[in-house]
Amino acid sequence: MIKFLLIQQHQFTLHHFIFCLPSMATFNMSFLTQPHSSLPNFPNFSSQNTPSFSSYSLPKTSLIFPSFTVRPQNGTITRRIVVVAALKKLSETDPLTVPVQPNEISARFPNESGVYAVYDSNGDLQFVGISRNIAASVVSHKNSVPQFCSSVKVGVVDEPNRTALTESWKSWMEEHIATSGKVPPGNEPGNSTWVRQPPKKKADLRLTPGRHVQLTVPLEDLIDRLVKENKVVAFIKGSRSAPQCGFSQRVVGILESEGVDYESVDVLDEEYNAGLRETLKNYSNWPTFPQIFVKGELVGGCDILTSMYEKGELASLFKS
Amino acid sequence: MASRGVLSRANRIKSRLQSALQPTIIEVEDVSHQHAGHAAVRETGNNETHFNVKVVSSKFDGHNLVKRHRMVYDLLSDELQSGLHALSIVAKTPKEHGL
Repeated sequence: MIKFLLIQQHQFTLHHFIFCLPSMATFNMSFLTQPHSSLPNFPNFSSQNTPSFSSYSLPKTSLIFPSFTVRPQNGTITRRIVVVAALKKLSETDPLTVPVQPNEISARFPNESGVYAVYDSNGDLQFVGISRNIAASVVSHKNSVPQFCSSVKVGVVDEPNRTALTESWKSWMEEHIATSGKVPPGNEPGNSTWVRQPPKKKADLRLTPGRHVQLTVPLEDLIDRLVKENKVVAFIKGSRSAPQCGFSQRVVGILESEGVDYESVDVLDEEYNAGLRETLKNYSNWPTFPQIFVKGELVGGCDILTSMYEKGELASLFKS
Repeated sequence: MASRGVLSRANRIKSRLQSALQPTIIEVEDVSHQHAGHAAVRETGNNETHFNVKVVSSKFDGHNLVKRHRMVYDLLSDELQSGLHALSIVAKTPKEHGL
């Protein structure tokens, strides 16, 4: 078992990585090495490079740090509490062979929090991760990338707060990089093999090829076809990624939180949806936006969707 | 504003719904100030744009929410064409309201 100690820190030597994460699971590395920094200069992050740690999400089991920012600290703080991992080194940890059956994996690996390192059959380190349930994460990896999951080293963290977990992950990463000079392939920027990428937002649908293109069918027919050919369509003000109106924003939020696969149309887009607002008001006999259609039928606007959401009526609406 | 009479829009909305729906409860609240930065509001210079409307009426009996909202919208079509931008509608029957 690895112990994390809370100590009051006055002198400390540590290599620090800074992972600047433009998006989840991709990072650029820059080293900030402080071989023997004196007195309370830990951690001496440069100000223009405010570090933010983010971690890796696996389905269900792993830990997510949406944006954990460590603020630069200056020397005026005298009390400094730092989590230090009395962590067994990566090289000193024995690998456990990954069994084929998921239930055997669960039996062999701890279902506790900690850091883990996955090796392929050549004994090459593929990925270092942290998890709230190491066994479940190993099962998940074995499922998705069995060819890389031959054995796993595990370091359970007894008091698994974010800092402790991050520190333990960093120490194994540092050790591996120091000895091999390489980042494990699964931890490299843009590698999506091990971590679930955030789902890409769909693009908003456009009704017309552009305002200067003469339509051969009435706009009303285009609307009719659109709402009948797509199960759920939301006509909103602004794009789905940046709604321009609070009511549209709420509708997008509800649809996203229900996990609905929906199409969106920006009624403010004068280039590709010119004339849509007036035509849609007549088509649906509904004077305001947003408007939500399910299987060609108007469900209503923000008020109705919100009220159905609060009553738990949406799941059946979208499922049927 | 051409259609703006002596009464405030809130009062016009209220009396229109009052006479048509004979509600047991009617509340009309002008919340335009909450949307002062809203693009559509800025463009028109209109300051009576957003309202919360709560109507409890037996005339809603047997109608689904879409139909009820349409009833309210239809009654207020003049207002909607003269700068009323958005309504937040609560439309219930007396029974649903626990009366």
